Amino acid sequence: MPVFALVDCNNFYASCEKLFDPTLTHTPLVVLSNNDGCVVARSAEAKALGIAMGAPWHTLRAQAEARGVVAFSSNYTLYADMSNRVVEVLSQFTPHLEVYSIDESFLDLSGFGSLHPEGLTGLGGRIRARVADWLGLGVCVGIGPSKTLAKLANHCAKKGLAGEAGVCDLTALAPAQLDVLLAAIPVGEVWGVGGRISERLRAQGVNTVRDLRDADPGSVRARFSVVLERTVRELRGLSCLDLEEVVAQKQQIMSSRSFGHSVYQLSELQEAVGSYMAKAAEKLRAQQSVAGAVQVMIRTNPFKPDQAQYQRTVTVPLPVPSADTRVLTGWALALLRDIYRPGFEYHKAGVLLAELQQAGVQQAGLFDAGGDTVRSVVLMQTLDAINNRWGRSTLGSALTTGAPQGWRMRRAHLSPAYTTDWTALPLVRAG
Amino acid sequence: MNSIPLPEDPLARSIVATCARRADAPHADFSRADAPQAGLWRPYENPRRQALPLGAVKLSAGFPSPAADYEDKRLDINEYLVRNASSTFFFPVEGDSMQGAEIFSGDILVVDKSVRPVHGHIVVAFVNGERLVKRLRHRDGRVALVAENPAYPPLEVGEDTELLIWGVVVGKFKRVPA
Repeated sequence: MPVFALVDCNNFYASCEKLFDPTLTHTPLVVLSNNDGCVVARSAEAKALGIAMGAPWHTLRAQAEARGVVAFSSNYTLYADMSNRVVEVLSQFTPHLEVYSIDESFLDLSGFGSLHPEGLTGLGGRIRARVADWLGLGVCVGIGPSKTLAKLANHCAKKGLAGEAGVCDLTALAPAQLDVLLAAIPVGEVWGVGGRISERLRAQGVNTVRDLRDADPGSVRARFSVVLERTVRELRGLSCLDLEEVVAQKQQIMSSRSFGHSVYQLSELQEAVGSYMAKAAEKLRAQQSVAGAVQVMIRTNPFKPDQAQYQRTVTVPLPVPSADTRVLTGWALALLRDIYRPGFEYHKAGVLLAELQQAGVQQAGLFDAGGDTVRSVVLMQTLDAINNRWGRSTLGSALTTGAPQGWRMRRAHLSPAYTTDWTALPLVRAG
Repeated sequence: MNSIPLPEDPLARSIVATCARRADAPHADFSRADAPQAGLWRPYENPRRQALPLGAVKLSAGFPSPAADYEDKRLDINEYLVRNASSTFFFPVEGDSMQGAEIFSGDILVVDKSVRPVHGHIVVAFVNGERLVKRLRHRDGRVALVAENPAYPPLEVGEDTELLIWGVVVGKFKRVPA
């Protein structure tokens, strides 16, 4: 029988912030989305104060701060490094692992139960203890015979519905116990059953996870979808979803942001697009790809309906695929000039690199040699090496360096990149 | 009719001989107009299997380096200082209370969270909202954090002290201006 575990970090962003700052140990803490917009993570203390996920910070700021809540901008550099470390630790427990999100991984533990004296629950406990010891982060472990059940088990562990000490092993429950447990969980908690589907399910009398499990797969397929039918089978303990271990090379690279302040001028949009393209092109080269098409998008803020709205997205296929920042930026700026209209308050811009292919396998063009020249490739390698060593945007096109960047994302409460920047390491006092 | 020159090495010789065996003739010359039709080649039935020791038919190009046998990989400072990369973090030091342990202001500490802290370890600790580096004393059920400089009194950890041993110091490094 296959066995999967879902390991999920508790309050991941908030825990990363607390990990390095000794003044925050008992502080209610929230992490805000890009541009310090909404609450995207809460520490246990902040949850206890009733601060809702997704709440716009500006509406609750005054009240929250009065109650001692501290807000942080999203420090994705820190979260990504800690996430990679968690995956490294989890990889010691199984060779088969799927990184599902920045704070969740599926582990294939098939056949591992007999290896641990206390079975899968004991193994789950060890996983939990090691992440805590090595990284200072709390995780919950959910174990089940399918990915869907492992995810549900994790929910049970997190909410204390079943299992103990943050580990819930559904394979250890007797069928009658499992029936009781699943009958107590609303159907909306099942992985892949969103708000709208659960509404439709409830209208047909399917209220709990148990109801869905016991539904007839054939009629679920007929009334909903083959995807939900698969979910029913997964809930019955038939594993239908395999681990997605191999990280496929990205087929598209996107770089887009909302602006910190509203932007009106073409020149400011040009700076932004140039800077996003520099970032996207660096990612492109890091995965040894070249792009065959460039897309540029600009838009106003759809959440300000009283303002004049405008949005355009254009794509151009490149005559010759390239990974040269200068070439790609040139195309992006040409597109931007085409779609820019004065008089609008722009809120967001983005670039997309598409039709990616392996570098070095391009068809030669009729009028050129095909692909970037050796000089261009070497120049880009040098550019990346310098920016790697001295920090992003040390070297770039004149568009993106030096100029005052009023459009840049608001991150007023950003913590240091404690683990990835020599100049941001946490000081320790010898006193 | 060409004959394939057979190598002198008996092992290689048997391979070439096996490969050259054809259904209808021992050797073939495909450059000739009357060369046998395609499709006449088929695998030799039940070929004699010949296990070859690795490198038996190795080609050599140029003179072998006399140092080849002695080659070793270059030293990596990470290997020396970092035992467990996943659980290792760096903390720069500020202050002189650990001079006796040769930890000076400006040193960067290598802190390994996977090492279980015991009596005598130098540790990074969160104490009452501060990040400190101290030596851990743990005797007779009593915990203290002590400095390695007589100017700083030991810090007895009592009921009202909030203490988190964050990690164990396993090394340090520093650049020298040059």
